[in-house]
Amino acid sequence: MPGGRRVGTDKSPAVAHRWGVPPALLRCLPLALLAAVALWLRTHDLARRPMHADEANQGVKTGELVEAGRYAFDPRDHHGPTLYYLGAAVATVRGQASLAALDETTLRLVPAVAGALAVPLLVILARRRESGGPGLSGPAALAAGTFLALAPPAVYYSRYFIQETLLATATLAVAVALRCWWHSGLTRWAVVAGAGVGFMQATKASTPLFLGMAAIAWLLTRAAARPASARPGRDLLAGLGAAALTAALLYSSFGAHWAGLRDALSVYLHALLRFGAEAPPTGHEKSWHYYLQLLGWSRSGGLLWHQAALSALALAGLAVAARRRDPLLRGCAVYGVFILAALSAFPYKTPWHAVHFVPPAALLAGAALDALARRRSGPALAAAIAVLAVFSLGQQTRLTSFLRPADGRNPWAYVHSSSDVLKIRPLAEAARAARPGEPIRVISEEYWPLPWYLRGLPDVGYWTEAPADCGGALVIASVAQADTVRARLGRPARESFVGLRPGFLCVVFSPEP
Amino acid sequence: MNSRHLPLLLSALLGATAFAGAPGKVPLAVEYPKPLFAGTPRPISLSNLEPAGAKRPDIMVSAESKLLSRGKKVTSSDSLPVIGELSFITDGDKTGIDGAYVELGPNTQWVQVDLGASAKIDAVAMWHFHSQARVYHDVVVQISDDPEFKKGVKTIFNNDDDNSSKLGKGSDKSYVETNHGRVLPADGASGRYVRLYSNGNTSDELNHYCEIEVFGVAK
Repeated sequence: MPGGRRVGTDKSPAVAHRWGVPPALLRCLPLALLAAVALWLRTHDLARRPMHADEANQGVKTGELVEAGRYAFDPRDHHGPTLYYLGAAVATVRGQASLAALDETTLRLVPAVAGALAVPLLVILARRRESGGPGLSGPAALAAGTFLALAPPAVYYSRYFIQETLLATATLAVAVALRCWWHSGLTRWAVVAGAGVGFMQATKASTPLFLGMAAIAWLLTRAAARPASARPGRDLLAGLGAAALTAALLYSSFGAHWAGLRDALSVYLHALLRFGAEAPPTGHEKSWHYYLQLLGWSRSGGLLWHQAALSALALAGLAVAARRRDPLLRGCAVYGVFILAALSAFPYKTPWHAVHFVPPAALLAGAALDALARRRSGPALAAAIAVLAVFSLGQQTRLTSFLRPADGRNPWAYVHSSSDVLKIRPLAEAARAARPGEPIRVISEEYWPLPWYLRGLPDVGYWTEAPADCGGALVIASVAQADTVRARLGRPARESFVGLRPGFLCVVFSPEP
Repeated sequence: MNSRHLPLLLSALLGATAFAGAPGKVPLAVEYPKPLFAGTPRPISLSNLEPAGAKRPDIMVSAESKLLSRGKKVTSSDSLPVIGELSFITDGDKTGIDGAYVELGPNTQWVQVDLGASAKIDAVAMWHFHSQARVYHDVVVQISDDPEFKKGVKTIFNNDDDNSSKLGKGSDKSYVETNHGRVLPADGASGRYVRLYSNGNTSDELNHYCEIEVFGVAK
């Protein structure tokens, strides 16, 4: 894996000529194959895992947009609009015109495609330009892309209808556009980067944190250099304009809800009230080393969960970045370490934030292999280590995303819905068929993701406390409410039990025939 | 008195008379592991759900009854469990901690204890998993001398109320797993094999066993 050599440059033209394939196309083949593998990992059997409460909630919101064509940004309980608009776009392509018609695959295709797109973006970002300069050799950049394609959190949350993968991919896209602008000086790349920043802001309000860390990394590693643009100030303004326009279009629901612009700013006030020093605990507070444990390993319920191979290589890549005067590597290292430190310092922690550590870690891991391959007899060793790392990541991704995607011990399956929730829809449809005129009641202090599974059924109601009349074709009550509900059913009912998630049980009352 | 309580009262009276008058009968002594719940379980009081942590009535067994299953061979519909080994089921370790239970695959799965010879079985005790409040679905416990369970099968417990496991509809109550597990009277049923079915639980689609104990008198 000698540094700077392009993939297949020695033999490709001859092979290409023989088979009539353009050399440029042949050079892209490894990256295309890698992107295809990444896409398959992210789209295969998407509907199998039960919907997490957050996915269900956002799925219902997307369904309302699909059905009524209306969306209004909610600064209190929801992130930005991009996820919903993209979900609605996929629904349109798939011919799903209502909430009832919407399915899990449609929703999860949004982060899945975004997650797959991140892989070629990282390879393009990491790869040294043909004219030389910073970055990795072609094979090392491909190795970095492979690590991102296979990393357990990257695959898991690409199959999960939340904003995090969209944000991580948009961050990569902005980095690629900025690099193109830096080297080409073309204003259009500044506009593309700006639009990417606007998209990031319209995805999650935490965007300033990522931009701030990226700015610090740039200042610390590249402050002395100058871009190719003759008028960087004008390009900066063009980029800022594109960012503001993109974010404004999305937050204002494309001009249909101008209050969304005000709400886009007020979201920080709500965040202060929710996460400030005086705010009550959210239940998601964790120790400072939570993310370090996710990046390392943990043993739970007889199973070993880790991404130690990627983390070990990334640590080696940090050492390479410290020694090499490569601004891309150093910038990536500073960004990765600062993001990890910032998110670790914040008490509120959820595992999907780990998605943001993977691209810098994968790039640094590629750098470690690149440095190793430059040594004498290093290429074989680098290739062997890469194969071992790929095997290790692949095994963990198979375990976390395919074998046990909703297992309570899976560190990525955070407060996940039990597989029992999949029984709710058939039960409700049977109850509806048996007693068409009667309501379906959900009486529980917590009920997500049930609204997703009961979508499209008429006369479904939700109560957090038992109403005076609890009768219905089917009544689902939390165990805390079950005694009261039974007393108010008005007739005998068969009882069965479903788990909403580990440790939270519900009782299903079905009237006796 | 409410007339619907009459059959219950009569049953209790008859049961108490039978136990009190049964010669040579003693309460079954079962050793329970320490509770593993980390948090405070929600109070659960349901008509067909055993109250969590409540002491269940003693099961009366013959004085000669003893533990027959310790160290006996266990087979399963999932012959290669990913977590744990089938031998854990009869090794006497019912602590429920990591490394002390076996995990079987999803959907309906069974485990079968071979006592080595036919016995008069007084009781079967089982602990699925007791470090979290969960209910196992479609629990069915059967005794037979036929290792295939095609003939001479006696069912001593069945809470599969919709017959989803295709073993017949049951009317026994579901229960929340605790360190007390579940101890079932077998009333002297004769058999060499004890087979236990389950079909996932309220937390996941998998099936677990910490321990099974079979009490009785060897023939």
